[in-house]
Amino acid sequence: MSAKSTTTAHVLVIEDEPQIRRFVCDALRREACVCSESANAVDGLRQVASEEVDLVLLDLGLPDMSGIDFIRELRTWSKVPVLILSARSGEDDKIGALDAGADDYLSKPFGIGELLARVRALLRRHGQGFDATPCYEFGDVHVDLSRRIVHRDGVEIHLTKIEYRLLAVMLASNGKVLTHSHLMREVWGAGYAEQGHYLRIYLGRLRQKLEADPTQPKYFLTETGVGYRFQS
Amino acid sequence: MSMMNKMLSHKSQGTRFSLAVALCVVTTLIALPVRDQLDVANIVMLFLLAVFVTAVTLGRGPAILAAFLNVALFDFFFVLPHLSFAVADVQYLVTFAVMLVVGLITSHLVARVAERTQAAQMRERQTFALYDLARDLGASLTMEQVTATAETFLHDIDFDVTLLVADTSVTGNAETTFHEYGKHHLGRMEQSFAHSAFAQQMIVETDTLAGMGVAIIFLPLAAPTHEFVKVHGVLAVTPQTSDVDAIRMHRPLLEAVASLVAMTVERLHHAEAAHQSALQVAAERLRNSILSSLSHDLRTPLTTLVGLADTLVQSSPSLDDAASETATIIRDQAHAMHRLLSNLLEMARLKNGQVKLNRQWQPFEEIIGSSTRLLAGLLANRALTIELPRDLPLLNFDAVLMERVVCNLLENAVKYSATGARIHLSARTQDGFLEVSVCNDGVGFPPDRLDEVFELFVRGEHNSSVSGTGMGLAICKAVVLAHEGTIVAENCAEGGCNRACVRFTLPLGVPPAISEEASV
Repeated sequence: MSAKSTTTAHVLVIEDEPQIRRFVCDALRREACVCSESANAVDGLRQVASEEVDLVLLDLGLPDMSGIDFIRELRTWSKVPVLILSARSGEDDKIGALDAGADDYLSKPFGIGELLARVRALLRRHGQGFDATPCYEFGDVHVDLSRRIVHRDGVEIHLTKIEYRLLAVMLASNGKVLTHSHLMREVWGAGYAEQGHYLRIYLGRLRQKLEADPTQPKYFLTETGVGYRFQS
Repeated sequence: MSMMNKMLSHKSQGTRFSLAVALCVVTTLIALPVRDQLDVANIVMLFLLAVFVTAVTLGRGPAILAAFLNVALFDFFFVLPHLSFAVADVQYLVTFAVMLVVGLITSHLVARVAERTQAAQMRERQTFALYDLARDLGASLTMEQVTATAETFLHDIDFDVTLLVADTSVTGNAETTFHEYGKHHLGRMEQSFAHSAFAQQMIVETDTLAGMGVAIIFLPLAAPTHEFVKVHGVLAVTPQTSDVDAIRMHRPLLEAVASLVAMTVERLHHAEAAHQSALQVAAERLRNSILSSLSHDLRTPLTTLVGLADTLVQSSPSLDDAASETATIIRDQAHAMHRLLSNLLEMARLKNGQVKLNRQWQPFEEIIGSSTRLLAGLLANRALTIELPRDLPLLNFDAVLMERVVCNLLENAVKYSATGARIHLSARTQDGFLEVSVCNDGVGFPPDRLDEVFELFVRGEHNSSVSGTGMGLAICKAVVLAHEGTIVAENCAEGGCNRACVRFTLPLGVPPAISEEASV
């Protein structure tokens, strides 16, 4: 997929509440995105299939199909990034949607600034495609994945194998929420699904080594009850 | 009275003996006219035949009578001299002896075969009756039906029955109470027998009370399960007659009845328990779906409100200052309303039955990090300081609920303090607990009502200008209590200004071990 800037991106908003569609599209158009609307899941799927869509904003409470079923269906033939808009308070819905293949979620009500930040991050990440650089910079940290070297403020930081693998997985999904079970599977393997405390301990260590204030992290963010997100 | 007795008693004892005598007399009358034509040996045969017929048709007693009577009649009418018991030829004494012995043995053998046949028939009937009972009990859906079925069965063999089922809703050491089913009501003494049968899981029999209309056998309703015997109650059986033997004779049958009833009671218990839990699940599902749709339906217009107000604030050409400020206020109020809604829904969840905590072992500082990030806007114009030891152990808690506690405490601290005021969040371990406190500069809690601030809809100050419902601290308390912790509010004077503090504790527990990896 070719790299696209926000200015030409085509965003599809699938949401049954017309007022929400209206202000979301207004905001996206001010960002110079092309915005199309859909009030239900079936029509939404049809639009993704027939038009070239770069991002889908999906309401989880659609009248004709559950959001999770929508994502499962979509993921059988498309890799287009999906941002969930959820009005439910339960974390299970979000985890279900993320595990089904959604890229991020936003709890209602949300501010426009928050929405645009997520949209930009998803478009940027998706636009990078496979020619992503092996080097990442955030704060005073420099990571070179090709040489497996991490520097902080010019000083080399020693990471254990697992810390390094966790860092690499999170960097690769910059901006995306990763559920606990996804991270456990990626870093430790399938057998560790019930050992969630490993993830929390190692993420804590990563914060100790790479964050200026580990208590109030800027990059390795906690999505309470759902998982973690790396945000540069 | 037993079925066997019933069978035999269609002719009374006296009638049967009279019939035996009559048969002997008839035999004599038949043989008498042909006395001179027939050989004596053949006449003996006729008399033996009479004894045999008597034994087959009338039973053992009449047959023995017939055996003796026939010897006498034979001697009197057929042995010379006739019409006298005197015996001319001594060898007839041998005939008499053989006749008597053969008669007695015949009557004994025949009667025994008859008795065995009757006993076998009775057992067969009992077995069929038990099959019927088992089938009827299998179809029973209530204790009343079980009792009626058992009553019908036992009435046939002249017993009254009372079914006592232990009340399972009472737990603890209190004496078991029974629900009593059946027409025969038990007196105080009978109740105590029933209790001892229940407690010792043994059959209690009280023969001495037979015939007083008192239950005299108490059978525990023991349903054998896989590993242990569970006693569900007691079956008290009262004979309708004063026949003590009836109980003894029917004891195996009564035990079989008791175990059939026990299995039925057990089945009904399981069915009831399954029904109850199905009801509970349905109620829970309904409540969750109501809360979930309420949450969805109320959040949707709030989302529109926030979004449209934001659109106004960011519109171009930009609004004048006053209009922009208005739009900002609309947005902030919608956010405030959303927090209120979240608290309301959370409270409904917490108050409405058991909260299912999603407890995981995790570091507490994650909660602090995510809470301060969520409230970054609110906290922007307060001086927040965080004091955490670096080596806090993992704690077992529900992250989402705990985040709400910390958020609510921070929001409260912001709400009751002025711009630029200090807010201090700290944690430390002490005596097996983690103690977290959130303090803020300000007027503090009303000193006389420190405990009340955790009650629903109670606020620190009456009629104060600060908005809020007093739900925040109530939710904190509910969550902390669900985690077996404690929460207190206090004021402490420091540096000339009053500080309001809320402290809560969480038990440390024993975190799961982790195996360290070898370093790179």
